[in-house]
Amino acid sequence: MSADHGVASTKIYFREANVRALREEMRQNPRVLILGQDVGAFGGSYREFDGLYREFGAARVRDTPVAEAASIGIGVGAAASGFRPLVCITYMDFLMLGFDPLINYAAKLRYKTGGLLTAPVVVKTTAGAFGQGVAHSQCLEAWLMSVPGLKVVAPSTPADAYGLMKTALRSDGPVVYIDHKRLFPIPGEVPDAETFIPFGQAVVRKPGSDVTVATHGFMVRIALEAALILEGEGVSAEVIDLRSLAPLDINTVAQSVSKTGALVTLEEGQTTCGVGAEVAARLYECMGMRPWARIGALPAPVSSNPVLEAATIPDAARVVTAIHLLLGQ
Amino acid sequence: MNSIESLRLMMLIRAFETALAKRPDHGFQLLSSGEEAVAVGLSAALTDKDQLLTGGRSIGPALARGAEPGAVMAELLGRVAGPNRGRGGRGHMADPESGFFGAHAVVGGNISIAAGVALAKQMAGDGGIVAVLFGDGACGAGVLHETLNISACWRLPLLFICNNNQLSVSTARTAALAPAKLSDLGAAFGMWTRTVDGLDVACVAAAATEAAGHVREGRGPAFLECVSVRLLSHSTTARETRSRATLTELRAQCPIRRQVAYLQSSGYLEIAQAEALEREAADRVAEAMAFADASPYPEASEVLDHVG
Repeated sequence: MSADHGVASTKIYFREANVRALREEMRQNPRVLILGQDVGAFGGSYREFDGLYREFGAARVRDTPVAEAASIGIGVGAAASGFRPLVCITYMDFLMLGFDPLINYAAKLRYKTGGLLTAPVVVKTTAGAFGQGVAHSQCLEAWLMSVPGLKVVAPSTPADAYGLMKTALRSDGPVVYIDHKRLFPIPGEVPDAETFIPFGQAVVRKPGSDVTVATHGFMVRIALEAALILEGEGVSAEVIDLRSLAPLDINTVAQSVSKTGALVTLEEGQTTCGVGAEVAARLYECMGMRPWARIGALPAPVSSNPVLEAATIPDAARVVTAIHLLLGQ
Repeated sequence: MNSIESLRLMMLIRAFETALAKRPDHGFQLLSSGEEAVAVGLSAALTDKDQLLTGGRSIGPALARGAEPGAVMAELLGRVAGPNRGRGGRGHMADPESGFFGAHAVVGGNISIAAGVALAKQMAGDGGIVAVLFGDGACGAGVLHETLNISACWRLPLLFICNNNQLSVSTARTAALAPAKLSDLGAAFGMWTRTVDGLDVACVAAAATEAAGHVREGRGPAFLECVSVRLLSHSTTARETRSRATLTELRAQCPIRRQVAYLQSSGYLEIAQAEALEREAADRVAEAMAFADASPYPEASEVLDHVG
């Protein structure tokens, strides 16, 4: 336990942040359930459900067969009937198997019933490259951002993993909660007091004055790494962690860009119709055109080959180069 | 539900859908002429505690569950007096108060949702069961097989009802689905299964009641296949692909005509009574239409309400 700015906190891993949020919510509300592959006694592929099966039993922590479409559908149906299920989809790449219940049903349920029914379901999944190949590495969050009625969050710290999960489990509509595989080994301080992080609030991770980098998930760490290099070269980059992609907090980005005058968007997914393209478009809608560079994966699948994987996804060197180019240096 | 009551309900559905299709502003509808006995027979097996979910051919089943005809008509015509303020329409209307949890117009899409509603009922222990009605077209969809498996493993209180009208738009069931009987799909997962004549309302009601009883007793899900006919084309905009001769032959199998003939030959129904029932159905539909017409469309300014 430690005290940062007077707030008592404890250093824990992402998986422990997930467990803590779920344990608190499951103790508080008997209608919170977990469904997914290997979530029971095994404790989840990343041990992100460790101990919950023991405490809450097989009825509330349910192993499912390999059946993503039905698992999401069952979670959604139970949600529409008054429960609050979390459905774990091990890899984001498999989320598309369950798009019908998630996108055609859950995201539209409140709207299509005129407010009569809602689907308070959380679909938890993991994104990102970690040596597992073309169908286990994708960051598809931008696909989800265009669905009316769907909320999308992606933490970059254990504190946000805890606080965003807490909010997700109390949210009245479907939420896709995205962990990043490469964040799992990185611990962080989480407040000891119960905390909710509201959706739609970005946060400045590092203040700066020359350029704004808007990013999310694991790429926040790449942006901070790049900012450190740039600092040594006399360029001050402000790093914004979006945290919540839908709803998107464009005001925090706009405030930053009105100060720095330039925007770099950074994501691990594709740039075409990507998170960055949306951030830039909304920014320009509210404050007019500003210099902008977008960085994301190269337009290729993400191979398990370590050389090709590293060549595909952004690293700090690419970010530094892009910022120099943008600033005309 | 007695046999006159079944007939009354089937006549209501037929008259309702016929009147709807005649309206120039009916939009895009999937009707159920030839399939009324499935919806009505199934409803005879369900109670107030139960919920029914369907695919997009939802009008007959919603009326059979007891949804108000006026409200349903309003919903279908996009009026605010519909249970969903006219937003759901045929493909997505929901009236859970009437035990009609809702339609989902993606073929097979409501099957896993229904299993979730059944899981909620099982966990809440409210004694109710869930029925999910889908067509033969959905039997080729992967999510049916996933859901059959999970619901059997978890012994969910879920009744799978396949309304096998033998056509998926234009594709014959025999050309698209390998099993000899579609109820064999449930048998593979150890379920109570049966295939019955879906044109005989009493036969559907008896089988559905037995299946529902099995499910209600906590013995796991059941799969009932009802073989029916589709007397109209797939939708109000789809081309009819069958010959006139075939259609004439099919019309002779009409479940309503059959029930009238059965009741008359058994001495339960006079011709005058049958005519009176038809008039009664027409009157109820006229009332429903008047109710819907009296209700306005939503304001365009509501378009962003209830998004998320």
